[in-house]
Amino acid sequence: MTAGAVSAGQRPAKPRPSIVAPLAVVAFLAITWWAASDELGIGFDVFELLTNLTRGASILAEFVPPDWAFLDRTWAPLLETFQMAVIASVIGCGLALPISFLASRVTSPNAFVYLLDRGILSVVRALPDILYALVFVAALGIGPLPGILALILFNIGVVAKLLSETVDAVDPGPIEAARASGGDRVQTVRWAVLPQVLPNYVAYSLYVFELNIRASAVIGIVGAGGIGNLINEQRRFFNYDNLAVVIVAIFVVVILIELGSLWLRRRLV
Amino acid sequence: MTTQPVARPQPPSPTAKRVATAIFALIVVGAAVTVDLRIDRLTDLPVRLWDIGVRMFSDLDFDYLPTAFGLMIESIQIAWLGTIIGALLSLPLAFFGAKNITSGVVSNVVRLVLNAIRAIPEILLAVVIFIPMVGVGAYAGTLAIGIHSIGTLGKLSAEVIEGIDTGPVEAARATGGRPLQVQRWGVLPQVLPEIVAFWLYRFEINVRASAILGVVGAGGIGEALVQSLVYRRYDRAGMAIIVVIVVTILIDLVSGWARRRIIAGGSTGPRADDAIEEPTFAATGAGRIDTGIG
Repeated sequence: MTAGAVSAGQRPAKPRPSIVAPLAVVAFLAITWWAASDELGIGFDVFELLTNLTRGASILAEFVPPDWAFLDRTWAPLLETFQMAVIASVIGCGLALPISFLASRVTSPNAFVYLLDRGILSVVRALPDILYALVFVAALGIGPLPGILALILFNIGVVAKLLSETVDAVDPGPIEAARASGGDRVQTVRWAVLPQVLPNYVAYSLYVFELNIRASAVIGIVGAGGIGNLINEQRRFFNYDNLAVVIVAIFVVVILIELGSLWLRRRLV
Repeated sequence: MTTQPVARPQPPSPTAKRVATAIFALIVVGAAVTVDLRIDRLTDLPVRLWDIGVRMFSDLDFDYLPTAFGLMIESIQIAWLGTIIGALLSLPLAFFGAKNITSGVVSNVVRLVLNAIRAIPEILLAVVIFIPMVGVGAYAGTLAIGIHSIGTLGKLSAEVIEGIDTGPVEAARATGGRPLQVQRWGVLPQVLPEIVAFWLYRFEINVRASAILGVVGAGGIGEALVQSLVYRRYDRAGMAIIVVIVVTILIDLVSGWARRRIIAGGSTGPRADDAIEEPTFAATGAGRIDTGIG
């Protein structure tokens, strides 16, 4: 109807200029000014920053050359990081399996369990891994044990979210077949759902294992064991040439593990 | 017609599977046996956690609320400015990283750089690079978040650019646009809404990240959190945790509303909204993973 009303040569009326876009720009500028201002914000000043950066460059120069002799002292913490990641991934992914089945509409026994599980999971995911590490270190003292516990919670959060979404999307055919042949709930999950999601489960587990290697570099900074401990120790004494070695070592290990897990994933999935 | 009995295919050899299982078990058991756990501490864990939980949340220190809130505001400011830095630096990189804009070599190199940036958690960037360079404080946190954000923002934006409609680009070229003008008028208007939505999404992630960056002295509420836990002021720690959670959820709500408004624009359907809601597999990382560490 309206299209027909516009005859040749007659331009459609211009849309009225929207007030939303200018408002959004004003809001953006206001928030930025507020955040960067001296009195209300963090006092962010680009020119000051640039002078700081040039001064800081001389400190960065202390990173090179790295003191490769320090490499000998990185093996033990790197091994500990690896051990923590292995244990936390196995336990975390193991616990995440039943939790994700309870958190999917397809396999959850009832709405109460479903909502409860989802609620708990979203709280677990909302808190950062380093906060778990802080709390466990406060409760147990320093060492790899609080780190492993923090990583387990982190892993449950990640794997259960990804896996429960995968379970939501499985093919219902096998489930119907299992029910029709008299399977109970556990048997249905075991024989109709699990085989469908197993490749994804393996992929997610390898993915969190990689994340754990990286995360343990961070949670170690608050005393939860692994290579992060060494970072914290060296930065306190401003040993930047040693720190450079630690960073390179982490980077190499992360890349190696990523390559290994890529290879494994291709073989398994 | 007689049907030949078809020979069953050989079942795959179980040896490879057994070897793999054995190796896996060996690694797991080996790790569990050799790591220095002092596992006996686990028996105290439920009691201690309960004790800490009770002390955190039963007797909240409301006098501490204004301080905690002020520090959380600083975390938000760090996240906002960091996101702007990341957005400004990632936009040109995204154009260079898009395979339909540049040659394969350039885009591959840019992608590699973006992935490398993404692999380093912002806490490590702060500890290793920015605190030594600009000193302890909000500056270091802002820069760490800004640089780390480049990785994810650049990658996601490049993927958006790769998905554009080629029509406007050809039109801009046909009317004699120079290369930069083609990007400005043919590409940018198509991708900007989605990219701005990604910036807002990244801001939400960065609020979480900046709330913990203070743990290493990079400004914001994280420092208060770690100090109150170390000095056993659990009443303050509980207050700080509540402030972090409530403010984070509020920001998510406002920012999520703005994102949907930008993407839908009040007219079209929920086109790319789904894509924004779930880049978790690649992004967390921290996690919060990305959350946490991503």
